[in-house]
Amino acid sequence: MAHKSSADPKPLKLPVSVAGPADLGRLIREAELIDDTLLQLGLRSGGKEVKLPKTSRLMDQVADLNGLNLLRANDRKALRSFLDGVKKASPVMHMSFSADPGPDFMDKLMTWLRREIHPTVLLNIGLQPNIGAGCILRTTNKQFDFSLRQDFAGKRDLLLQKIAGAGAQTGTPKGEA
Amino acid sequence: MTIWWLVLILAAIGSAGIAFVWLAVRIGRTPQTKAKGVDESYKDAAEHDIEHLFNEEFREELRNRGRLHFEKIISENAMFLQQDLRLTTSQLNEYMKTEITTRLKDEFGKYEQSIMDAKQLAVESIQKTNVAIEEQRKLLSQQVQQEILADKEETIKRFEANMGDIVNHYVLAAIGSQIDLNDQLEYILGELESNKKAIIEDIRSGA
Repeated sequence: MAHKSSADPKPLKLPVSVAGPADLGRLIREAELIDDTLLQLGLRSGGKEVKLPKTSRLMDQVADLNGLNLLRANDRKALRSFLDGVKKASPVMHMSFSADPGPDFMDKLMTWLRREIHPTVLLNIGLQPNIGAGCILRTTNKQFDFSLRQDFAGKRDLLLQKIAGAGAQTGTPKGEA
Repeated sequence: MTIWWLVLILAAIGSAGIAFVWLAVRIGRTPQTKAKGVDESYKDAAEHDIEHLFNEEFREELRNRGRLHFEKIISENAMFLQQDLRLTTSQLNEYMKTEITTRLKDEFGKYEQSIMDAKQLAVESIQKTNVAIEEQRKLLSQQVQQEILADKEETIKRFEANMGDIVNHYVLAAIGSQIDLNDQLEYILGELESNKKAIIEDIRSGA
């Protein structure tokens, strides 16, 4: 792990694998646990070098992405500060899909969201099978329906025109089977 | 000839008989104050002649003749009465026949007329009922037609209002299991891109 200078602190980033508030909460708890563990180990070992306890994949990704050495107290402090800041200030959105999204899908989606919407936006995933294709996005005050159902509803006039046209060709009045 | 005639006749006969008998009795008596002698002899002769003439046989004969005459008159009058009664009875029968026939004809005529009137009333009532039923049928038919049209319009409106859901349901039923979320990613990102400004604005206003 590269040693970072505290003189020019670089803003930390959140990996795309940390998608929702639950992941963030786990990271924060894990960071606290690491802090406590290392503190206790340091006290017991009397200043000798201690080993980092086993960390989760998410924590490893956060450390790797930001070049943090979790054995260093400053880095841990910066990480905790960053994570607390994300928890307090980051926007949280809710997206509902018709099926459970896979990791690749989530990575691509989070990449876009973090790039286009907010760098630390968090996402809650919900399931709504009746929307079929697409998704429904809920932000702080609004709801955006990106489902196929809504798309069809928006193109209802086009559909009616097509049905009327088909009926005129076959000689059947509109609405009759 | 009636009974009154018969009674009168009998009374006349009775009176004649009584007069005759009285006369005979009177002639038979001899007044005590008449002079004796020639008168007595005439009287005795008269009495003897009377006795000779009007003896028991003669009197009996007279009585018989009177009885026969009386019986004859009675028989004749009875026959007249019988004939009269028969005539009266036949006339009465004829009269009764005529009257009964006339009355019966009148009553049957009235009965027939009342039946015809009732039949006419029934026919008129049935015709009126048929007309009313026909009107009701037309009205009901119109109402049913209107309700059918209204239901049809309602169904079409519901179909048009829910067309999006219907097509969505159909598409999902047809190919829902073949649409992967990864296939939808491009569509979702396109929709997010289209509404990016509104999303960012809402996030900033909510923060």
